[in-house]
Amino acid sequence: MVRLADLPEWEREHLLSKQLPPLGPLQWVSNTKPMSEKRVALITTAGLHFRDDQAFEFADASFRAIPGDENADNLVMSHSSANFDRSGFQEDVNLVFPLDRFKELASDGVIGSLADIHYSFMGAGLLPELYEGSVRGLAGMLKKDRVDAVFLTPV
Amino acid sequence: MTTGISLVRENAESLRPPRTLWVSFPLGRPLGKPGDSAFQHAVIEHALDLLERDQGPVLEDFPLDAPAVSVEQAPACPISFARPMQDDGSWTARLRNELLEMKPWYDLGRRRRGRTTVGVSNSSIDEIVQKLASWLDDRESPFPDLKWFKYAIEDAKAYYTEALTAQPGDYPPELVFRQLWHESGLGAALRAYYQYFRAHTELQLFARIVAPREAIGGATGEEVIHTPIDKTSAPDKH
Repeated sequence: MVRLADLPEWEREHLLSKQLPPLGPLQWVSNTKPMSEKRVALITTAGLHFRDDQAFEFADASFRAIPGDENADNLVMSHSSANFDRSGFQEDVNLVFPLDRFKELASDGVIGSLADIHYSFMGAGLLPELYEGSVRGLAGMLKKDRVDAVFLTPV
Repeated sequence: MTTGISLVRENAESLRPPRTLWVSFPLGRPLGKPGDSAFQHAVIEHALDLLERDQGPVLEDFPLDAPAVSVEQAPACPISFARPMQDDGSWTARLRNELLEMKPWYDLGRRRRGRTTVGVSNSSIDEIVQKLASWLDDRESPFPDLKWFKYAIEDAKAYYTEALTAQPGDYPPELVFRQLWHESGLGAALRAYYQYFRAHTELQLFARIVAPREAIGGATGEEVIHTPIDKTSAPDKH
């Protein structure tokens, strides 16, 4: 559905306004482990958190931690954009944050293991540069958790 | 190393992340279809395969669209949005009556799913609806706190859409959108708030959180914020 040619002109213009140049030189990490040995973390920009976490502000570059042993069905969303469907997330959290799918992959031995903690940002409005501080801190935590690969989902 | 999904191919082409799988699914549905674990696994498998590539950046297209769901096949809308005889023409009466119709369907949906996504604002749905309607009926009253407003409308929209999709079945996003934004009183109320936000310079930045571009038929204000802001109060008078 999100083929720009299929969208009204104002929507096409909005999405094209998000086109930004690369943040810097290409960062490329070569593959050194088979998938069955990789430890994987999930990161979403869907503005997810648990009810007792602080909800996301109108514009907010911080992130929320989502422990892998928590029930993802208890996640709620405080994303600032009104411009995407939420009914799918309401029906099935895995549509946006596929934690159960990755637990199945770990259980089946397709991936080596899942990280102890996963993360959510709220990807609305702010330019990417403003997330740099949060992301650098997060990268350090992923290293401590011995994460090999991150699976990124937008919303 | 990272791999991930992009919903807007042109944005990924421009930003050039190392490994990206573009999918043709609607915004808000990066894994394709709710409740379809086989389809979700197919998307994940393709994205994970990109980790095996030894040169990049890699931008590939997922070959399938999300399984089609037609409006005709969706369960019938359980709510009548016709205004009842006892409606006195106020927002308060309209939204209160509408909420009474929503409640049994919301409860049914919560039982069927075993979960709800309502609960960001820490206010009850009755309080949220009463406050939203009350200010529209009396615009000389203090404007709701903006931080509360953001979370309250998130809860109100979640409550409504969970009620509208309470029955088992597949719902195309465009159907839920039409019912919420073009048929319900809540949608009309939020569009009224949107117009207010747009008409006041100090609030224009917030208009885009109130109603989607598609409900308004165009752009909804400033699209990118260059510095973090924390603006949580609005003028009492307008």
